[in-house]
Amino acid sequence: MSSPAEETERPMPRMSVGNLLRDYGLLAFLLLNVIVISILSPAFLKPENLLNILTQAAPLGMVVLGQAFCLLVRGLDLSVASVMATSAVLATSFAATDNAMMPVIFAAAIALGIAVGTVNGFLVAKRGVSPFLATLATTIVLQGIRFLYTEGSSGSTLPEGFAVIGQGRFLGLPVNLLILVALTLVLGYVLHFSRFGRQVYLVGGNPRGAMLVGIRSNAVIISCYVICAVVAAIAGLCLVGYVGQVDQWTGKGYELDSIVAAVMGGIAINGGRGNVFGALLGVFILVVMFNAVILLGLPVQVQMILKGIIVIAASALYITDGNRRVA
Amino acid sequence: MTPTQSTPASTAVTRWFRRIPLSLIVVVALLLLLTVTGTVLSDRFATSRNFLNVFQQAASLGVVSLGQTLVVLTGGIDLSVGAMISLTSNLTSGLIDGNPDRVLPVVIGVVALGAAIGCMNGLLTHYLRIHPLIVTLGMASILQGVTLLYSLAPLGKVPQEFQVLAYGRFLGVSIGGLAMIGLFVLAAIFLHFTRTGNAIYAVGGDPRGAHLMGISVARTLAIAYGLSGALAAITGIYLVSRMGTGDPWRGEGFELASITPVVVGGTILAGGRGGVLGTLLGVYLISLLNNLLNFLDVSTFYQWIIQGLIIITAVAINVERGRRA
Repeated sequence: MSSPAEETERPMPRMSVGNLLRDYGLLAFLLLNVIVISILSPAFLKPENLLNILTQAAPLGMVVLGQAFCLLVRGLDLSVASVMATSAVLATSFAATDNAMMPVIFAAAIALGIAVGTVNGFLVAKRGVSPFLATLATTIVLQGIRFLYTEGSSGSTLPEGFAVIGQGRFLGLPVNLLILVALTLVLGYVLHFSRFGRQVYLVGGNPRGAMLVGIRSNAVIISCYVICAVVAAIAGLCLVGYVGQVDQWTGKGYELDSIVAAVMGGIAINGGRGNVFGALLGVFILVVMFNAVILLGLPVQVQMILKGIIVIAASALYITDGNRRVA
Repeated sequence: MTPTQSTPASTAVTRWFRRIPLSLIVVVALLLLLTVTGTVLSDRFATSRNFLNVFQQAASLGVVSLGQTLVVLTGGIDLSVGAMISLTSNLTSGLIDGNPDRVLPVVIGVVALGAAIGCMNGLLTHYLRIHPLIVTLGMASILQGVTLLYSLAPLGKVPQEFQVLAYGRFLGVSIGGLAMIGLFVLAAIFLHFTRTGNAIYAVGGDPRGAHLMGISVARTLAIAYGLSGALAAITGIYLVSRMGTGDPWRGEGFELASITPVVVGGTILAGGRGGVLGTLLGVYLISLLNNLLNFLDVSTFYQWIIQGLIIITAVAINVERGRRA
């Protein structure tokens, strides 16, 4: 989507003071939210409510982690919601009630993610299709395949284990939050401390530079799309566990919400800047605000209006020189 | 046949022919292929009655895609058209509420509202330097929220005469469909024969260059997005005329559906290349295809798959061209 003029060279970002400031700024904003909301509505700080918020935030958080990889290489993935729904439908297709089938179901979901991510990545990297259109097309195709397969109504048999993942607690913490933490640690390590992670930033921040130093950009880009789709497939299963039932549109809206949260969390939509922790803060800010709307007795529609205002305001705040659109 | 290249007339023709973008040739070829296939496969397809129906049904997709084309030509994208249609459709029928006297002021007001919100998209993109995807996505969320605050259910109704727009026929041809063609012609004239129209191409092709040439990028973007907003509002009004009432979710899916004809018609998402003729043909291609698949009792599910494959194919063809050029 970026026009040629935007492909200016940009220094490679590190964990610099500026970045830390931005992250702490976000954290401060989140805390400010929490303080204001808890004054307005004492119910907010009740442990039960906080755990609820975290449980709700978990599947979106996972999707955002994956989305971050795509955004960092100047892409985006609209197919995450379709991948979530398809992985949920796939899970029911085993008609399994035995928890022993759980690993098989997860393996199937991951395989689905790898397949979709590879197609997305191939179209974007090798064919030069705009990420928007490539992932839009896979969304529509997946949707068609999913409905054809289920003939409109999906099964609903899932092992008990899914309820544990979605709603269960382990040591007092929601299980799906623990999954989010684990994924964050793994993907955070990959992005910020591995060779591949540095390549991701270079390919997104300075594609020409990446080419000149001999990075196989295409492989990096395809890997990012695969990571995104795999994480989305896992998030789909977690969301099914939370909601307690499967339908054809599991995860609807997550494609846009994940982009909103990532952008709010400081991931630049034209690549190369941001980190996973910021992205997660974006998710929590979004979910806390949604929760506040409900607690304060405002109409639910206010959530949508807030979301729109926040994403525009946040992206306006983040613009730095490197990111300027020309003229 | 002897080679006729030496005669001036034929060189002119060849040159003219060479200037037609490949994507247009492909769309026309696909349209012909589709028509032939349809004629062979279904005896109800190739009837003037059916073609007139498709002509009528294509109107809503056509108008909203026309607006999308203008925005895409500037190198942007307008994801707020769906929410805009939802807002304007329920607002129109809610405000008119069956009263014929209110039709004209409400219609003018709603189109102006669409244009104003669209302008805002363009100006936000330019002055806050935010990616159009984010601006219009945020705007879509805001508009849909406002729409649902206004009413959660379809509101009001419109007078019988108002439905002329959707169902009226002039010499047997749908008035809505003719109006759509009229808008396309106006847009083509605007793009090719006015300074602002040329500026849209210039800004899409090279924003910095356009700025250096003295083109006001802000003004150009405001006009392109404003027109897209106004055309989305017109689509909303048209859909009210077709259904007889508004619906707070009427526009759902239009934001993405409106992009398909644009890219199938050869306008590239990076901006600066393409045009409204391609979009018009793209709209008819998609509408005819869906019509044929309905006749053949092909499930919606296959229709989705085919639509996805068409997007990929169309874009891949244009990418190849871009590389060679």
